[in-house]
Amino acid sequence: MDRRNSTEPLVTVRDLAFYRDERPIFQDLNLTVAKGSVTAIMGGSGSGKTTLLSLIGGRLVPARGAVTVAGEVVASLPRKLLFALRRRMGMLFQSSALLTDLDVYENVAFPMREHTRLPEALIHDLVLMKLEMVGLRGARGLFPAELSGGMLRRVALARAIALDPMMVMYDEPFTGLDPISMGVIVKLIRELNDALGMTSIVVTHDVDEACTIADYIYLIGEGRVIAEGTPADMKKTDAPEVRQFMGGLPDGPVAFHYPAPRYFDDLLRADRP
Amino acid sequence: MSWGADTIRALGRRVISGIGRLGHAVLFLVRLMPGLGVALARGRLIIQQLYMTGVLTLVIVLVSGAFVGMILALQGYNTLVRYDAQSSLGLLVALSLVRELGPVLTALLFAGRAGSALTAEIGLMKATEQLDGMEMMAVDPLPRVVAPRFWAGWIAVPLLAMIFSAVGIIGAYIVAVGDLGLDGGVFWSQMQSGVSISNDIMGGLIKSVVFGFVVSWIAVFEGYDAKPTSEGVSRATTRTVVSSSLAILGLDFIMTAFMLRGL
Repeated sequence: MDRRNSTEPLVTVRDLAFYRDERPIFQDLNLTVAKGSVTAIMGGSGSGKTTLLSLIGGRLVPARGAVTVAGEVVASLPRKLLFALRRRMGMLFQSSALLTDLDVYENVAFPMREHTRLPEALIHDLVLMKLEMVGLRGARGLFPAELSGGMLRRVALARAIALDPMMVMYDEPFTGLDPISMGVIVKLIRELNDALGMTSIVVTHDVDEACTIADYIYLIGEGRVIAEGTPADMKKTDAPEVRQFMGGLPDGPVAFHYPAPRYFDDLLRADRP
Repeated sequence: MSWGADTIRALGRRVISGIGRLGHAVLFLVRLMPGLGVALARGRLIIQQLYMTGVLTLVIVLVSGAFVGMILALQGYNTLVRYDAQSSLGLLVALSLVRELGPVLTALLFAGRAGSALTAEIGLMKATEQLDGMEMMAVDPLPRVVAPRFWAGWIAVPLLAMIFSAVGIIGAYIVAVGDLGLDGGVFWSQMQSGVSISNDIMGGLIKSVVFGFVVSWIAVFEGYDAKPTSEGVSRATTRTVVSSSLAILGLDFIMTAFMLRGL
């Protein structure tokens, strides 16, 4: 059976509610990530996509509902078990989050040195294998400050897969990249997912890239899932919110204007300077 | 009327927030405790940080120590010579340096040179998601990043203070014997008979151990607690230098009072 069509869930989010300073970010959010799939989570800026990754990674605790990863309820795990679970998850931060005082080689070796007692020769081989996968074996002696944005993200990707995780979470992996670097990252996410038998969650607002690599797409907004489906479904749908997002229309159900009093009243306010 | 009430209210708010901050810092220290043990087992990390904080502060400590010693010799001679007591110059310089100036000035220099750098480094690691990244790699940043820096600062300050005093005494010797024409033998023998190891040298050492602890604590706490923005990091860096300096001088007064007057 094609792994991509597997329906066994790796991550399930049930009735999730989360607040930030009383402001609701999620209310009754439900979604499932199938094992072996590439799932895209899309939504506008500020819709809580990155917060969702933090909830899955156990860095935030939901107010209600539960996030389950590989059969474990993340928020209820004691710190030791949570760390054990995180070792099986990789995460690619938008800022790449590489350690700036270590070179590329040491950055990729970092999780191996922290979590294993492998001999140096084996670490050397593993690091070179990971770097070869992202095409940066030749850059192993460079420091993060000497790399371009696209290369930084590839090194971070090599580091995220250093311990062969079951799942990698990507936070806005396409933002701020030139078209060539973007193409490289798109290809890598899909290829690594399939070659290493991982599951990938890609948080993004780039419609075309998400449609290229994702098996399944969730569109979130106003604290819940607005729409879901395969890329083909999403493109065909008539729902106005989805059409606005997928088509990149400036105004629609998601208003262009931040809530404000009437323009006319505001201009004629008695208390203006 | 309302101006007075506002002032009192603002004053109260500042006091409460100051005490709240102290509480945060203590809680942070308690959370750091287990990490301190873990970090000790990985001496390589501490040695790396000792180089970054200690060795790189060495130059400023050597130069300042030499100048302070030379100035003490000039000023001390000027006063002592009026009472024909210039033979005690060596003793005066040694006691001033070992008991007071060595530990205090070293800690102040350390706070400005290395403490601020520690805060900025940890704050920037936070701002650039490096600490979050570690957490997601199941690496706890407290033992891995914070504890080695704390140890290094704590170890470095007493060592630097001893070097400061030693260099200061040598600087004073050069001025006293070379320029002011004092007898070298008198300079050393007065010092040897007048400086007590258990009171003066140990007292200075205790002070510098306390200063090292406090400065390192403030530096790593401010860095870890910094708002993850450029403004937040710059404020935290300033706070490290200001709070450390005040803490050093305040604690110095308290410890000196106890040491001189006994418990």
